[in-house]
Amino acid sequence: MDEDVLTTLKILIIGESGVGKSSLLLRFTDDTFDPELAATIGVDFKVKTISVDGNKAKLAIWVRVFKIKFNFFLNPHLFNSKVIKPYIIKYMDTAGQERFRTLTPSYYRGAQGVILVYDVTRRDTFVKLDNWLNELETYCTRNDIVNMLVGNKIDKENREVDRNEGLKFARKHSMLFIEASAKTCDGVQCAFEELVEKIIQTPGLWESENQNKGVKLSHREEGHGGGACGGYCSVL
Amino acid sequence: MADSLPTEFDVIIIGTGLPESILAAACSRSGQRVLHVDSRSYYGGNWASFTFSGLLSWLKECEQDSEAGDKSTVAWQNLIQDTEEAIALRRKDDSIQHVEVFCYASKDTGDSAEEIDVLQKNPSLVASSTLTKPLDSACLSEETHSDSTSPEMPAKDTPQHDGEILPEVTDREETQVKETDCGEKTCIHTVSDGAKDENKPVVEDNSGQPKRNRITYSQIVKEGRRFNIDLVSKLLYSQGSLIDLLIKSNVSRYAEFKNVTRILAFREGKVEQVPCSRADVFNSKELTMVEKRMLMKFLTFCLDYEQHPGEYQDFTQRPFSEYLKTQKLTPNLQHFILHSIAMTEPSCLTVDGLKATKHFLQCLGRYGNTPFLFPLYGQGEIPQCFCRMCAVFGGIYCLRHRVQCLVVDKESGRCEAVIDHFGQRISAKFFIVEDSYLSEDTCAGVQYGQISRAVLITDQSVLKADSDQQISMLTVPPAEPGARAVRVAELCSSTMTCMKDTYLVHLTCSSASTAREDLEPVVQKLFTPYAETEIDEGDPPKPRLLWALYFNMRDSSGVSRSSYHGLPSNVYVCSGPDCGLGNEHAVKLAETLFQQIFPGEDFCPPPPNPEDIIFDGDDKQPEAPGTNTLIVAKLEASEGSQNLDSPGQHLQ
Repeated sequence: MDEDVLTTLKILIIGESGVGKSSLLLRFTDDTFDPELAATIGVDFKVKTISVDGNKAKLAIWVRVFKIKFNFFLNPHLFNSKVIKPYIIKYMDTAGQERFRTLTPSYYRGAQGVILVYDVTRRDTFVKLDNWLNELETYCTRNDIVNMLVGNKIDKENREVDRNEGLKFARKHSMLFIEASAKTCDGVQCAFEELVEKIIQTPGLWESENQNKGVKLSHREEGHGGGACGGYCSVL
Repeated sequence: MADSLPTEFDVIIIGTGLPESILAAACSRSGQRVLHVDSRSYYGGNWASFTFSGLLSWLKECEQDSEAGDKSTVAWQNLIQDTEEAIALRRKDDSIQHVEVFCYASKDTGDSAEEIDVLQKNPSLVASSTLTKPLDSACLSEETHSDSTSPEMPAKDTPQHDGEILPEVTDREETQVKETDCGEKTCIHTVSDGAKDENKPVVEDNSGQPKRNRITYSQIVKEGRRFNIDLVSKLLYSQGSLIDLLIKSNVSRYAEFKNVTRILAFREGKVEQVPCSRADVFNSKELTMVEKRMLMKFLTFCLDYEQHPGEYQDFTQRPFSEYLKTQKLTPNLQHFILHSIAMTEPSCLTVDGLKATKHFLQCLGRYGNTPFLFPLYGQGEIPQCFCRMCAVFGGIYCLRHRVQCLVVDKESGRCEAVIDHFGQRISAKFFIVEDSYLSEDTCAGVQYGQISRAVLITDQSVLKADSDQQISMLTVPPAEPGARAVRVAELCSSTMTCMKDTYLVHLTCSSASTAREDLEPVVQKLFTPYAETEIDEGDPPKPRLLWALYFNMRDSSGVSRSSYHGLPSNVYVCSGPDCGLGNEHAVKLAETLFQQIFPGEDFCPPPPNPEDIIFDGDDKQPEAPGTNTLIVAKLEASEGSQNLDSPGQHLQ
């Protein structure tokens, strides 16, 4: 099913519990908002078509294990005559494992982009950003990943974190920054697209992913010639 | 802890090793409320893998005093009611023993580097000593190791021992005195030539020889994040139960694998490649035509040996090795089959040997030309993948969370709750505990085995080939009758377990003695210690050792449930890693326990197919082949004459 896909981009969405990571994603992918989202256990993924830079993009999104299949194209001039191929983007949610700070190192493997989310109405979620950056630095396998800071829930009245504070933090750590509301849809589309675009514009970031492809297990047999038994099954 | 933990679950699982993690996924998947805890700061228990600094922290933890740092825990004794009794759990894991570390790489202090600590538990510890000051002067044990080390090991050339003695050395010695109860011996040897960097030529140029990269200890530390060093060395049989489970449960989507590229044999002092697949046999330059025919004939017979009982019936109760001698096979072919394909002990019976050979052959070709797969980033990923599955279905995870005791209701005799290190009581219906958490009282009647392990960082492969990215599996047969074969797995950097230009080598055997005594002879046969000055050691030069670690791990896989004393019937025990090459034991254990706890429940069924759930937007599947062809074609047009690779070339 992935035959025509050039590469896989992996994007992590992290941040404290309850800042609205899953809501942001659902808003982006599904244009829905569900205040009771916490109950989405075991739901898997959704498919959607969007436009980035006037080009069509198709996504399949996994809820909780968010994984977006992204077969889309940007303007060729972005690539400086590089060959453009469809690719997959996996948006990985934390599956609730952030709650007691027990994300597995394997969650971070090979990510090219990170969306770091805090809640503008809860200062504690902003203060904890340092911990998350620390964790990122510890586990991420590469140094040039694109980070984006998202201040969520700007629709709420009781704001505790000023926009400038967020901006300052993002500048300090060389991250993209945007404020958003999953509820009202403000800034959501922008956040995801900008991040993906930035990754695409950093060709070394995603091209190298092709060089070390591992075997993915699937129901299909993937034997190269000969099939199972290394050829011994066939008559000599 | 920002978030408070619920106090009621269906299943509490203590330990995050592979069997526990599979069980956690299975329970959570079947709708149980699962709490999965580990007292350690990392996933996997003895199945974990570590970055280089993570491993150094782990080594420190291994030697720490069992009572240290436990003062803050809330006493549980008062929390037990009259109608209850408690079964205390062990405070410290003592399943790792006889830890010995050797550093051969040069301790260039010029560019000392730090790697970020993974075990967040003791960040200060690591930053302060292990990393910034390499082990130069830290000869931590008083034992005179240099005499016991073989003359080949440059233990005697250690002029730096009298250098600065770190303050902590004294602490360590005190710790060791206190530690007499468990008899654990942890020593760190320094066998580096220890030369000051100003004495060294900046570039070691042996222009006549194939270039050998010079790797220093500080480079290893600096690139420490590139390492994922497994405590257990295992491979996945491509037709094995773990692969089947990963595929069936869809947990496989969280992991990627590499094929083991070569099966090697060690015969007459030389490492040789074993031709396994039919194509390998045909293409082999080492085998004569006659040998090729013999081998093909025999292997083809092994695939359906059950159909021809007459062929081996006289040997059913006799060793496989004797049977092979009667099979018109030259000695090297017998060696290949016995040690590298069947991978049996010499005493193995003919039927078992045939069965093992058949299994090996059946696994060939599913994913590549050898029967084995290795997970990218190490075996330690696999438990984490199952944990993720558990979390996706609502399981709650707590690391660094110690359970102090199990609470048993006297009347019913069933375990009702646990009390954690905060003194919080958490109740559940079923409890799954990994063996190393059980106290000495509980395990008084238990007989454990031991696994001897060595982890080496080397600068070259044991068998040079066209590509330096080989993953090799080598079995070194026992040197003398009665000894154990040693399994060697050599991993290249593309497995994401070691830094560029190095190899990570795992040695494993069931223990006869300490890990070093068991494995050092094999290490000496295959490798030579790193030295700055290149000594010509004949052809081909052996790969050089940069760093080595030896330890023994307790093997609780053979322990029967009945030998644990006084455990309630709703407490289930998972064993630690076994010595086998595959993961069959862990999978079987998890499945057996799951069926005991939830009879009739489906074990890790596939999750609902995501593509079936919602589908909106465009009416075509994004993956539909037609769509992409179309788009590529469009692009081609828009790009004009620019080169467009065919998508097919980019397939894995």
